[in-house]
Amino acid sequence: MNLSKRVLKELYYNMVLIRDFEDMVDKYAKKGYIPGFIHLSTGQEACQAGVMLTLKETDYKFPDHRSHGVCLLSGTPKERVLAEIFAKKTGISGGRGGSMHILDIKCRNMGFNAIQGANMVTCLGTAFASQYNNTQDVTAVFCGDGTIGRGEVHEGMNIAAKWKLPIIYVLVNNEYAISTRVESVHSYPKNLSDRAWGYCIPNEVIDGNDVIAVYKASAKAVKRARDGEGPTVLELLTYRWQGMFSGDPAAYRPKDEVKIWKEKRCPIKRLREKMISDKIFSAEEVDELNKQSLEEIEGMLKYAIESPEPEPQDALKYIYAGKEVEGR
Amino acid sequence: MRKLSFGRAINEALDQEMGRDDKVFVIGEDVAQMGGDFGVTQGLWKKYGEKRVKNTPLSEAAILGIANGAAMAGLRPVAEIMFADFITECYDQLVNNSAKVHFMFNGTVTCPLVVRTVNGAGFHAAYHHSQTPEAWFLNVPGLYMVAPSTPYEAKGLLIASIRNDNPVIFLEHKLLYDMEGEVSEEPYTVEIGKAKVKKEGKDATIITSQRMVYLALEVAEELSKEGIQLEVIDLRTLFPFDKDTIFDSIAKTGRVILINEAPKTGNYVNEISQTINEEMFEFLKAPIKRITGLDTPTAFAPKLENYYLPGKKDIIEEVKEIVEY
Ligand SMILES: Cc1ncc(C[n+]2csc(CCOP(=O)(O)OP(=O)(O)O)c2C)c(N)n1
Ligand SMILES: [Mg+2]
Repeated sequence: MNLSKRVLKELYYNMVLIRDFEDMVDKYAKKGYIPGFIHLSTGQEACQAGVMLTLKETDYKFPDHRSHGVCLLSGTPKERVLAEIFAKKTGISGGRGGSMHILDIKCRNMGFNAIQGANMVTCLGTAFASQYNNTQDVTAVFCGDGTIGRGEVHEGMNIAAKWKLPIIYVLVNNEYAISTRVESVHSYPKNLSDRAWGYCIPNEVIDGNDVIAVYKASAKAVKRARDGEGPTVLELLTYRWQGMFSGDPAAYRPKDEVKIWKEKRCPIKRLREKMISDKIFSAEEVDELNKQSLEEIEGMLKYAIESPEPEPQDALKYIYAGKEVEGR
Repeated sequence: MRKLSFGRAINEALDQEMGRDDKVFVIGEDVAQMGGDFGVTQGLWKKYGEKRVKNTPLSEAAILGIANGAAMAGLRPVAEIMFADFITECYDQLVNNSAKVHFMFNGTVTCPLVVRTVNGAGFHAAYHHSQTPEAWFLNVPGLYMVAPSTPYEAKGLLIASIRNDNPVIFLEHKLLYDMEGEVSEEPYTVEIGKAKVKKEGKDATIITSQRMVYLALEVAEELSKEGIQLEVIDLRTLFPFDKDTIFDSIAKTGRVILINEAPKTGNYVNEISQTINEEMFEFLKAPIKRITGLDTPTAFAPKLENYYLPGKKDIIEEVKEIVEY
């Protein structure tokens, strides 16, 4: 299957947008504009861009903590994603969640649950609802190599397989959970996702920095789920360029390792070179896309910076449906 | 009026709500063919089929995960957790997810689910099948907790819970299942958040719930022969609790005894006590008293278990002390 020019362009643009977004967020976090934890997905753009382009707006998405890209590409007005990260009233959740909790029911972004692994059972519910209501909507859930250690993963995969729930597990294996290397704490046959065999769930191990491979594998898994054949685990091999969070020096990693991934395995550079050498786009056309992305980022940034902060009393809203809570 | 057992009243509520709203479904361990460990969901699987009565493996986190996800997607799950003690296995989903959905989505999504679970000591089931979990959830804004004491209220409160747009933990005391009482055949609701004065009196107010309501009524009956008139309040909804009914009673009696089965330290009733202290202090004629389980696990041997539980004698002693204070 050769991807169309339109799809390649979107994959490329979306990756660049995520990269630029993360760089800008990192910069403004360090400048003191952004409170709280920021987990950056720099280097992992292909995982998010590749999977997201295979999903529809009505499909349920459960991003993980390193998924600004998923939130940007779900269909939420992008400036409201950034405003949320900037703790502004105009943020998609009114500043209640921040970087880790960007949710939008309109495009079925169900948000990250900062209790790692919790979404691995919550995702069963939306998938079950699709089955119950006889719709073809699938549920995609992102999860890291460290999080796969949680008990919910087992409970969830077993039921997902047995009920043939339309779920795409996006296992982002970036080799580390904070400082802990994946093979130092997990036992598994050859690949981490081979565990899925135990649940009769097919798995596919993919170069997570090859966006075309991610896109194709995800499209296949989505089709399988829509056709009622059940869940798939996609294990995407990748690497985070940044530390665990913005500002983490990540002293636990060998410097050479980071260098190899940055210089030899950059997902964006890789697609750019391919598109140009295959003569699908000229270098100028690609540069134009890069320029557009920066312009889009500028617009979001202006909106986020100029937006007001929430009123303190906004914290009292929406605790219960139909019941007020006392303030100070 | 027709009589039904507590368990059958709950069953009828489930049946009627499933009949009324096809978004309502039941999920839990052994809830399908078998009809639940205590038989409460019997007949539903046959009537509504596999699609709406879902058996799961022993996966409490997944049961609540499914309930949460489905509720966010517009369904109205009723999950059964076989024993309240096992709720620790899905505690995270309840505390960090169900309770916060409405808040997290900035008011655009609700989490209309009910968790039915079986609590309470007196069944000689030892420490992993006898606990009463209200305090474990008291500090979690966003949750309701309901705990009926009669078949009539069990049906009406469950229907109200299913129709409520918030997550509701619905406690069923295992020793009440067989109790019979009058229950209307048609569907009806009992308002969540409203306590009930079970017996009027002027000398002291006993505030309690579930099985302990009956113990309090027995004591009230006995002491009335000695000229002490106790008022007994059944909370029915544990949180949010009904301040108005409690305060009206205290304004009249000025004396309070709180009864609850769980251990004393950090007991749920402490919150009621503190609220009374803050808002009704000038009406109090005596210190607020608690009669609770001991600060121990619930032991198995009937002699040990009885020693753990609040008993009639304990209540009578405390009542006399505060009435004479
Ligand atoms: C239940 C739980 N345990 C621990 C944490 C703290 N924590 C957040 S992310 C993380 C590591 C996650 O690693 P991984 O799943 O590989 O994702 P990555 O950060 O590599 O993207 C830890 C330990 C948490 N948020 N929740
Ligand atoms: Mg990782």
